[in-house]
Amino acid sequence: MERLRDLWRHRALIGVLVAREVKARYRGSVLGYFWSLLNPLLMLAVYTLVFQLLLPNRSPSTSPYALFLFCGLLPWNWLSSSITDGASSLLTHGALLRKILFPAEVLPAVAVLAQGVHFLLALPVLLAALLAGAFGAFGSRVPLGWSLAQVPLLMLLQAVLLLGIALFLAALTVHFRDVKDLLQTVLAVLFFATPILYTLRDLPKGRLTGLLALNPVAPLFSAWHDALFYGRFSPPETWAAATGVSVVSFAIGWAFFDRLRDSFPEAV
Amino acid sequence: MSARSPFAVEARGLSKVYRRWGRSRAFGTLKSAFLGRGFGKALAPSDTVAALSDVSFDVKRGETFGVIGANGSGKSTLLKLVAGLFKPTSGTLRVDGKVSALIELGAGFHPEISGRENVVINGVMLGLTRREIEKKLPSIIEFSGLSEFIDEPVKTYSSGMYVRLGFAVAVHVDPEVLVVDEVLAVGDEAFARRCLDTIKEFSARGKTIFFVSHSLALVEELCDRVLYLHGGRVAGLAEPREMLAAYRLNVSAGEGTRLLAEHAVEQETLRAEEASAPPAAAPGPGSEAPAPPSERSRRWGDRSATIDGVRLLGADGAERYAFRTGEAVTVEIEATPARPLADFVFGVGLFTPEDVCVHGSNTEIDGFAPGGFDGTARVRLTLARCDLGPGTYLIDVAVHARNGTPYDYWRGACRFRVDSARTEAGIWAPERSWATEGGVTWVRT
Repeated sequence: MERLRDLWRHRALIGVLVAREVKARYRGSVLGYFWSLLNPLLMLAVYTLVFQLLLPNRSPSTSPYALFLFCGLLPWNWLSSSITDGASSLLTHGALLRKILFPAEVLPAVAVLAQGVHFLLALPVLLAALLAGAFGAFGSRVPLGWSLAQVPLLMLLQAVLLLGIALFLAALTVHFRDVKDLLQTVLAVLFFATPILYTLRDLPKGRLTGLLALNPVAPLFSAWHDALFYGRFSPPETWAAATGVSVVSFAIGWAFFDRLRDSFPEAV
Repeated sequence: MSARSPFAVEARGLSKVYRRWGRSRAFGTLKSAFLGRGFGKALAPSDTVAALSDVSFDVKRGETFGVIGANGSGKSTLLKLVAGLFKPTSGTLRVDGKVSALIELGAGFHPEISGRENVVINGVMLGLTRREIEKKLPSIIEFSGLSEFIDEPVKTYSSGMYVRLGFAVAVHVDPEVLVVDEVLAVGDEAFARRCLDTIKEFSARGKTIFFVSHSLALVEELCDRVLYLHGGRVAGLAEPREMLAAYRLNVSAGEGTRLLAEHAVEQETLRAEEASAPPAAAPGPGSEAPAPPSERSRRWGDRSATIDGVRLLGADGAERYAFRTGEAVTVEIEATPARPLADFVFGVGLFTPEDVCVHGSNTEIDGFAPGGFDGTARVRLTLARCDLGPGTYLIDVAVHARNGTPYDYWRGACRFRVDSARTEAGIWAPERSWATEGGVTWVRT
């Protein structure tokens, strides 16, 4: 618990390191931060091209499909890049742990939050797209309204969830470098098992569908779709599930990390 | 608040055991990690290495405390324990006050961003608030001497510049305990001097300094007390002079054993070479002048007489190859003539590895006119006081005719080490005394 307070005490350190990550990423490129806007914009353009013109989507519940996809993919990008960066964060910054007195838990947190900043920077593009969607720019109109107020809370839930996963994997990766390789496959499977390309409601009823509903990140992504695409407030059970998963993830990740903490300076 | 302890660092029975992980155990470990039960036990090490065993010491507040020892003696481990990077396996360690470790300067600099931004981030990493670091920024930049380049990305810096900036930040953190590793070895002379001055200034301001170095001169210059580690254990803890002398003698004792073994092997090899292939430069008596010595031929002469072996003896008559300054050294030459000789001279030369002749003399110079040489003989030259400075010395021995024609000239026949408890310079280390008159006083140390 005391350590947990330390994490808060290190917020200044986390702050400067997140700023550094974000800054360093675009250093040397001509367009700089603009890439954070440009990348999602290009992404949206490609989806529009493919799913409006080449592969028109027939399911009414997920159309306009380009926009639907975009609403799920942005949070997913945050999730997958945070997990990848977070898992290797201790190894990447091994010198810090070995050479100076450095609070290890800061590193996974920085990985998650720096990717969170990229998500934030992409958010204006998403909002603009939704606004355009509300006026029918992508075909059928999408509702736009107060449901967007859920976004900050969803971001918080996702940050807590990712922090837990990143702490867990970072600690694990220090001792088992195999995790990094395994992770790519696991993330690929998770991508298809998470309602991003589809909604759970549209799936044919079956045993596999029941299995997909057990995916711990499914409630969170359903909630993202609700808030962004469907313009509605998620039912309480979705919120309860998403919150529960985040809290449990953080608790497990933190406990595991804390237990292995003393081994890091020697093992990285 | 209770009264502050007079000690900045207190270590009691400190041990550190490193574990080597066996790959075969990885799966069991992974499983138990997930089960979250008995993790420490499941990670049964396949092998352990004790880096420190039962180390106890106190560092007084405001003291400059040195740690010396050979490579692998546990210096770095101790340093990391004191800096709080590692946890001791057993024993207790209490460090009072904010610690700043100069272990690797500039650790955590990001290559892509500017020196200025890195200073801010590094400062926060080392425990300053943003405001504190902003306030100290000009002074840090001034200290590093990099004002011209401070807004360039750090990846464009030379390693010297990198270290300078790192040092500048580290000393501005204003710690109560400063842990210094072998960092002064980098950077140019001027900067090294400046670092040293800064460390002295820290000490003058009553800060505690924990100093680890291979540079004995630096340890002697800076430290109030010195801990001598040997094989992970405390070999001594006293003032620098005493500890450094103990360390040097211990090193030379180890060196002596090694040299003795080496000498035996060397002589054996040479004898074997002689036996298997009699050198071309050893023709029968009466042939023309021998070939001049080349780089490789360490030995030449017509072998009217042959040197069978060379040994060095101490004052007690025991063979050895490590001496202390001022000790008596005896060179013993064993030689056998090919036929009875009436014209012969025994000579000994003493050289530095750079081939500077330290001393050379022979029986002729010293007033021995040859009588007869008709059987294996041992000739001993005793140098009553070898007032040599610390270092390695080579000995040439020769048997030759009075006109200089070599019978057997052996260059670098053996070598020995001289060690001194003091760190004097040069090859001559005479007995000496200082005397002063007038307005000078000295403090006994």
